[in-house]
Amino acid sequence: MAGNKGRGRAAYTFNIEAVGFSKGEKLPDVVLKPPPLFPDTDYKPVPLKTGEGEEYMLALKQELRETMKRMPYFIETPEERQDIERYSKRYMKVYKEEWIPAGPKPKKAKDAGKGTPLTNTEDVLKKMEELEKRGDGEKSDEENEEKEGSKEKSKEGDDDDDDDAAEQEEYDEEEQEEENDYINSYFEDGDDFGADSDDNMDEATY
Amino acid sequence: MTQAEIKLCSLLLQEHFGEIVEKIGVRLIRTGSQPLRVIAHDTGTSLDQVKKALCVLAQHNLVSYQVHKRGVVEYEAQCSRVLRMLRYPRYIYTTKTLYSDTGELIVEELLLNGKLTMSAVVKKVADRLTETMEDGKTMDYAEVSNTFVRLADTHFVQRCPSVPTTENSDPGPPPPAPTLVINEKDMYLVPKLSLIGKGKRRRSSDEDAAGEPKAKRPKYTTDNKEPIPDDGIYWQANLDRFHQHFRDQAIVSAVANRMDQTSSEIVRTMLRMSEITTSSSAPFTQPLSSNEIFRSLPVGYNISKQVLDQYLTLLADDPLEFVGKSGDSGGGMYVINLHKALASLATATLESVVQERFGSRCARIFRLVLEKKHIEQKQVEDFAMIPAKEAKDMLYKMLSENFMSLQEIPKTPDHAPSRTFYLYTVNILSAARMLLHRCYKSIANLIERRQFETKENKRLLEKSQRVEAIIASMQATGAEEAQLQEIEEMITAPERQQLETLKRNVNKLDASEIQVDETIFLLESYIECTMKRQ
Repeated sequence: MAGNKGRGRAAYTFNIEAVGFSKGEKLPDVVLKPPPLFPDTDYKPVPLKTGEGEEYMLALKQELRETMKRMPYFIETPEERQDIERYSKRYMKVYKEEWIPAGPKPKKAKDAGKGTPLTNTEDVLKKMEELEKRGDGEKSDEENEEKEGSKEKSKEGDDDDDDDAAEQEEYDEEEQEEENDYINSYFEDGDDFGADSDDNMDEATY
Repeated sequence: MTQAEIKLCSLLLQEHFGEIVEKIGVRLIRTGSQPLRVIAHDTGTSLDQVKKALCVLAQHNLVSYQVHKRGVVEYEAQCSRVLRMLRYPRYIYTTKTLYSDTGELIVEELLLNGKLTMSAVVKKVADRLTETMEDGKTMDYAEVSNTFVRLADTHFVQRCPSVPTTENSDPGPPPPAPTLVINEKDMYLVPKLSLIGKGKRRRSSDEDAAGEPKAKRPKYTTDNKEPIPDDGIYWQANLDRFHQHFRDQAIVSAVANRMDQTSSEIVRTMLRMSEITTSSSAPFTQPLSSNEIFRSLPVGYNISKQVLDQYLTLLADDPLEFVGKSGDSGGGMYVINLHKALASLATATLESVVQERFGSRCARIFRLVLEKKHIEQKQVEDFAMIPAKEAKDMLYKMLSENFMSLQEIPKTPDHAPSRTFYLYTVNILSAARMLLHRCYKSIANLIERRQFETKENKRLLEKSQRVEAIIASMQATGAEEAQLQEIEEMITAPERQQLETLKRNVNKLDASEIQVDETIFLLESYIECTMKRQ
């Protein structure tokens, strides 16, 4: 990039007249920083439209905003559990209808789900132990496929939705049906898998 | 989806449905269609919450689903539909002007709930209307049903697609998700229901049941458990029909501004006649003969046939070409050029923006370039009669803001700048897109500012709400003037001032949102119809 800087002024490769500067004129300053965030404008904005319609729409908008917050579709973020439950919180709870999309709710699944919480947790524990042994990777892929099918079957429909309990039930059940060598019923409740010391292992663990 | 659109969608979803739904919705908008597990994994929310959020979004027609091969169901968000939430007040107000309070409440309930059965809508609206009526009076279901039928007939509400009823159910397993279908003919078919009843007034004891045990509440909401006769037939608001109405309104008011009241009435009559015969995306309406128009003019207007013909000729000769003459039979066949009208409206919006931003001289240059299509810098100075330096400055300012673009025409193959023509031109489509993008950004800024203002003064707002509640309850139990005065003085004068300022600002920001949305509607309609044409 030697250019012709040594020989007097720089010569432009194009006709400077075309851009609008006459020959020899002082060029404007180089801009060294970004333009200001809120530049002063020469022309102020036009005032807003006013009228009966506009006022009504404004009131409507603000009302709708409030109404939407109270509808069951507004899902509140679950608050973190606080250490001390504040006394006033009990009296400030806002009542909201529970909205469940319309559709048939299979009663059987609900009862079955409620009746077997014990086995669920037991199965979950077993599953965790198995996971520790085998590692996560291989299981998730194959499970995804089968779970997708069955989950969507149970969930979707013309605004169908099974109860949460039923879903939980199926979810856990699906998880247990893994293609592996372990028979689910093999382990009795109370057996600590692998927790026993392995010092004097005369017999194999079942 | 541009970043501005995504940001705006995120703000809207958060305001209307809460953080969880917002997270899921924005995730879907950003990444396209995804299956359930992937959404849960990527957003880090529990499967339960994702399902709930998707239910809410699907209920409001913001998310659709599709079954892919191998039984995988993928969910896709409709970004443009999310942006429509800005326009809800306009839809509701329009219905009010056309069908009075009953229609207004019907559309409001449909918009707030996404999809509803007709019986549910009628019941809710009757209850609401009964509350506002005087004591002792109730709203009859029949009246509400009539308004509903009228809305369906004019296509302002339509049926939602539903699960197809298969007579011969194949014994295979049901698909993971049903494909919803809707027959064109059935879309506006109102089911034959005999809804008999009157609106119920909510018992006043329920209203101040703030501390009442929850057991009392559920009893009220699950009043009747009888089977709903039209279960499965859900209705939604037909937004396209509303858009058609807004477009017609815009054209009529444009004609009124340009010419006079009578010509706008004529155009309104023509549009009304073509409501049913022309589809919403057609470039021009069906040809209407002058005789037909004369017969369909509103009753109050008694202009003679000759005057009508003169007006029509004037309209057809207008350079804006809103109305065109397509034949001579029947006293002259006239059409309304919808696409041309939208293009003129979009161009007028652009000109107005240039004028308000850069001044009237810039606007003159802009209109000049629009007229001449391609023009050199030197010629701009001559035609616009503006000194060279200023003209250059203005041209470059508009160029830098992307209202204009440059077209290079090289004289020599080496594209030397000194031997190239540089022509200024305005590409209306790209300028409209740029302006639309800016509008989205503006509304996002407005919403953010409003939320900031509200958050800043949250403490004060809560205090004033509590004071109001105290005053209301004291008035209900009959308190003296002095006590009320005392309570009112809990809010000091400077605080009152602050509240006033806050209220004024929030109102201004809200009103601005509504107005920017009007511009968005015009620009979007124009862009949509131009894209369809290409």
